[in-house]
Amino acid sequence: MEGLKTSLKTSVLLKQLLNIIVLVKQVPDIERVKFDVETGRIDRSSAPAEINPFDLNAIEAAVQIKEKMGGFITALSMGPMQAVSSLRDAVARGVDDAILLEDRRFAGADTLATSHTLAAAIRKIGSYDIILCGEKTVDGDTGQVGAEVAQLLEIPHIYYVSRIIRVSENSITVVSEAENASYTLESGFPVLLSVTRDVNKPRLPTLKSKMKAMKSEVKIWHAEDLSGFLDLDKAGYAGSPTWVQKVIVQKEKTRQCRIHRQVEDGLQELMRLLEAKGLV
Amino acid sequence: MESLVEQLEGIVGREAVVSSREKMESYLFDETCIPVRPSAVPDCILVKPVNSMEVSKILRLANEKKVPVYPRGGGTGLVGGAVPTRSGIIVSLERMNRVEIDVENLMAVAEAGATLGGLLKAAEEAGLSFPPHPGDEGAQIGGLVACNAGGARAVKYGVMRSFVKGLEVVLPTGEILTLGGKLLKDNMGYNLMHLIIGSEGTLGIITKVVLRLNPKAPYSFTLLLPFNSRHDALNTVPRILRSGVTPLALEYVEKELMERSAEHLGEKWVFNGKVFLIAILAGEENVVYSEAEKLSQICVENNGLEPSVAERRDEQESILRIRSNIYTALKHDSMDILDTTVPPSEVGKLADAIDAIAENHDAYIPVYGHAADGNVHSHIMKRDAEKYEVLKREIYEATVSLGGTITGEHGVGKIRVKELYRFTHPKSIELMKGIKRLFDPNNILNPYTVLEV
Repeated sequence: MEGLKTSLKTSVLLKQLLNIIVLVKQVPDIERVKFDVETGRIDRSSAPAEINPFDLNAIEAAVQIKEKMGGFITALSMGPMQAVSSLRDAVARGVDDAILLEDRRFAGADTLATSHTLAAAIRKIGSYDIILCGEKTVDGDTGQVGAEVAQLLEIPHIYYVSRIIRVSENSITVVSEAENASYTLESGFPVLLSVTRDVNKPRLPTLKSKMKAMKSEVKIWHAEDLSGFLDLDKAGYAGSPTWVQKVIVQKEKTRQCRIHRQVEDGLQELMRLLEAKGLV
Repeated sequence: MESLVEQLEGIVGREAVVSSREKMESYLFDETCIPVRPSAVPDCILVKPVNSMEVSKILRLANEKKVPVYPRGGGTGLVGGAVPTRSGIIVSLERMNRVEIDVENLMAVAEAGATLGGLLKAAEEAGLSFPPHPGDEGAQIGGLVACNAGGARAVKYGVMRSFVKGLEVVLPTGEILTLGGKLLKDNMGYNLMHLIIGSEGTLGIITKVVLRLNPKAPYSFTLLLPFNSRHDALNTVPRILRSGVTPLALEYVEKELMERSAEHLGEKWVFNGKVFLIAILAGEENVVYSEAEKLSQICVENNGLEPSVAERRDEQESILRIRSNIYTALKHDSMDILDTTVPPSEVGKLADAIDAIAENHDAYIPVYGHAADGNVHSHIMKRDAEKYEVLKREIYEATVSLGGTITGEHGVGKIRVKELYRFTHPKSIELMKGIKRLFDPNNILNPYTVLEV
């Protein structure tokens, strides 16, 4: 009887703690990376790899929720072994556990195949209340993965979250910026939130946490570890319906700029140009 | 002046001569605070030569006609050095902007008009680095050398002067001299190159510079060391320097100013602590981490709070951007920005003396600076305009009494000539004037700058 009481108490306590998963991607420092115009590929060796900047806001949001409510944060990433360094950075920033999905069968994935793989891992993790991700990655720029993961998990998602107003044991209220309007939305758990850079200012890790994180363990899950959760036909290159046919890099255009000190002269020239193009 | 315009057009071509005021507006001022900035004259001629031969011809012509010449770089100076205050010729070096990297000798050869940003990029692309960061990246190499610029990253490797190995300079009388070269040792006669460095465009127009480069550090990070008291922070600086860890930069900032600067930039400053030391460390990753641990330990022993670390480029840049923009955030409300410098161990005393001066005169004088260089920036604000002269004088006196100098990096320009005379031995002034006359017998080059001859 005593044991049952304790376990009930523990489960009540556990219920109050939120399980948060943050989706993290390692990307090259986009301002330094070189782009091969001929092949349309990014030369990843040309710049240091780091956590996608938008994901830093997702991590910070998770840490702030945990600071308020208590909880456990898992960072989840798919990528090559080098991504371990980014997951360790996530640990330094306050994440409790880190999992890397690494397998050559996951490689070459588009957003859909990536989402299938991430969703499989989340199903394997099992217990989750909030999934957080950045609004997009700076290398892919699609912003699709969060919504696709939510869809595959059959849970609601709220995109472009610019503010978290309130978190309770079983719901969260946020402001979402969509189509030039702000919406205050409330959702029960589980829910996926994609946050914008306005949601917070990510803190820097402390030197102590950085040093500690350097030795932290990152769990590596291969395809076999997701067996029963993932249909491999839907992962990696094989599961990707998207292919890049051609990449076009816009050429820089030089335009002549004229400044008219006399407003009248400027207006007259503008009218003449518009008339010449048959626009007025 | 018309025939002069035609003659200049004959030297540099028609398209490189500008004589209408509207088109040269941005060449008539620099970054000096407006209340103390000298007024520019309305009738100047702007010329943009493309090589040292053209510069030479311009100077010969000006010398013959005894017309003042104002060399012009990026216009980022803070003491009115580039402002034309007499009718004359503004020589902008902007078209002379080539940078060549000599990887074998670890040297860069930069034309005077190359920007600091351009040099940093060229060095990086060659797998090398130019460690100092002496100011705005739009500043030009000629100007940086002429003003011996300092900036934040002078702790480990020194100011601009430490990196200059050779110069090509055109004298006011038109001769083109090559001084020094890609040499690490050169003891032939008096060192005229070092006389030109820091001469603020009064002895010659620098057209080309040989700069020493370093191999690129594989790893760098910025350590933010928070404290709750200025004394604790500044007292830590000499201990850090004695520890054997020499950061590239070691800056002192106060929370209120960082918040103001961040707000000015549309960013946020979210760190605990009232004051901060910002240290930039660079080298092998494991070495940098062990240096960071050492610094952290020293700070904690001196009542420091938990240090944070910026490792990503964007996060490092954000901290440094907020630090660099304290100046821009305050500029609008500033009368003048001082750059007094004392021996590094006296920085705390100087900061306290400035606080006491502010309190005595019921003034607000924000203070920050390059802590490990002993270089303190203090702003005299417009709200204290009436007390400007007395506040400035007392800060200078406090600085000099601590064994310091009235300017550590901005130079004398056109607005500190009076103070140079006041705080320099008359014999030194006499020698400086003699040197100026020897180089520039007709006093055509940047007159009324540094000295009045």
